[in-house]
Amino acid sequence: MENVKILICDDSILARKQLKDAIATCGYDNFLEASNGQEAIDTYKEHKPDLVFVDIVMPIKDGVEAIHEIREFDPTAHIIVVSSVGTQTQLKNAIMEGARDFVQKPFSTSSIKDIIRARFEGR
Amino acid sequence: MHTQFFGNFLLNKGIISPEQLVEILKIQSTTHKRLGTLAIHAGYMSASEVEDVFVTQTHYDKRFGELAIELGYLTEAQVNELLALQLPNYMLLGQILIDKQIISHVELEDLITEYKSVYEIYDLELMEEQKHMVDKLLADFYLPEDLPHAEYILSYITLLFNDLVRFIGEDFTTLNIITLPEVPTNFCIFQQVEGSFSFMSALDTDRETAITFASRYMEEELYEFDEYVSASMEDFLNLHNGLYSVNMSNDYSMELHLQPPAEHKEELLATDYPSYLLPIIFSFGTINFIFSVEKIEE
Repeated sequence: MENVKILICDDSILARKQLKDAIATCGYDNFLEASNGQEAIDTYKEHKPDLVFVDIVMPIKDGVEAIHEIREFDPTAHIIVVSSVGTQTQLKNAIMEGARDFVQKPFSTSSIKDIIRARFEGR
Repeated sequence: MHTQFFGNFLLNKGIISPEQLVEILKIQSTTHKRLGTLAIHAGYMSASEVEDVFVTQTHYDKRFGELAIELGYLTEAQVNELLALQLPNYMLLGQILIDKQIISHVELEDLITEYKSVYEIYDLELMEEQKHMVDKLLADFYLPEDLPHAEYILSYITLLFNDLVRFIGEDFTTLNIITLPEVPTNFCIFQQVEGSFSFMSALDTDRETAITFASRYMEEELYEFDEYVSASMEDFLNLHNGLYSVNMSNDYSMELHLQPPAEHKEELLATDYPSYLLPIIFSFGTINFIFSVEKIEE
C-alpha cells in the first residue's frame, strides 16, 4: 500500500484534509497534493500517481482543464471528480474529458471507501 | 432541495454508463416533454397506469391524453393543466431513459422516489423543530422591494438557512436585509457565481466569530485564527453555492458557474450594483451575509 500514490487536488486545505482522512481509513496514506489545476497537472507529470481526486472549481486552471491535460499526457490516468457543483454541463464535460466517477460534496467516508476499493481491489 | 444532479445519481448507482449519460445530456435540449411523464410528475397517474395507456395506444390510434381520459385516469382539466406544466430536468432525463428502453416507467418511478428520499428530503429532514424554525424565519422575512427576481433570491435564502442549520447550528436568528451601495468589511470571504443569473456572495465577520463558525463546520475545536478558519468559511460558501447550482440546474435548467471563493482583502466590498446585507446573529457572534445581483437573463 505504501507504493500507491494518490493525488488530491483541491484549492481548499480543509477539503484536502477531509479527503485524506477518509482515504487513510482504507490504509492508504501516500498523498500528493495540489491546490490548483496547473499544480495538479505538474504533480501528475512528475509523480504519475495511481489515483487522482480533483475538484471542479479551482483557480488558475479548473478541474475540467486539469483532467483534459492529465489525460492528454496519460490516457490511462484514473481520475475522480469531487465537487459540490452539479450542473449538467460540468458533469458532461468532466466525463467527456475522461473522469471515471463523480462524487458529490459533502461526501461520506463510505463513498470514498467504495472508490478506493474499486480502484485497488486485487492489487 | 437537491444535493446532487439526477444524472450523477444514476451514474453512481450504475443504472447508466458515463457514455450513455453524455449521450442523453446531448439530446436533452431537443427532447419534448411527454404527457405521461408530466402526469407521473404531477402525481395524477402512477407509472403502471401510464404503461397501461401506452399498451392501449398500440391497439387504438388515439393520443395519450384522449385515451387517459377515456380510461378514467385523467380529467380534461388535468390534461390542460399538465400541458402547461414545467418539467424538471430529472423527469426529462428519465423520459429519455424510457425512450431508449434503458428503464421502464415503473423503474423510473422507483428511482425518482429513491433520488428524492436520499438526495432531496434528507436535508429537509432536519429535526421537526429545526424545520419549524426555518419556516418561522422565512415567514418573518421580508425581501427589499427593489430586489430583482425575488423568486431566485428567496430559494437562495431558504437554502442558506437550511445549510446554516445543517452545518453550523440552529442557534441563530436574522435581521431584515439592508440595502447598501458598498459594505465595510472585517474578515470577508467572497465568491462570484456566473451564468444567466450572476451574483456575488460573501460572508463577513470578526475573527473570533469566524473561529467558532469554523470549529462547528469542521466538527473540530479550533483555538486560533489560522488557515483552517478561512478554509472553512470558504468551504461553507462554496458548498452552499454549489448546492444552489444543483437546485437551479434541476428546477430551472439554469447552468451556473462558480469562481473559486477567496478572501476579500480591501476594507470595502463594492460592486457596480447595490449590495444587500443580511445579518445572521448566532449565539457566538454575528455573521453578515452579503450579496449583489449583477445579471439576470430571462
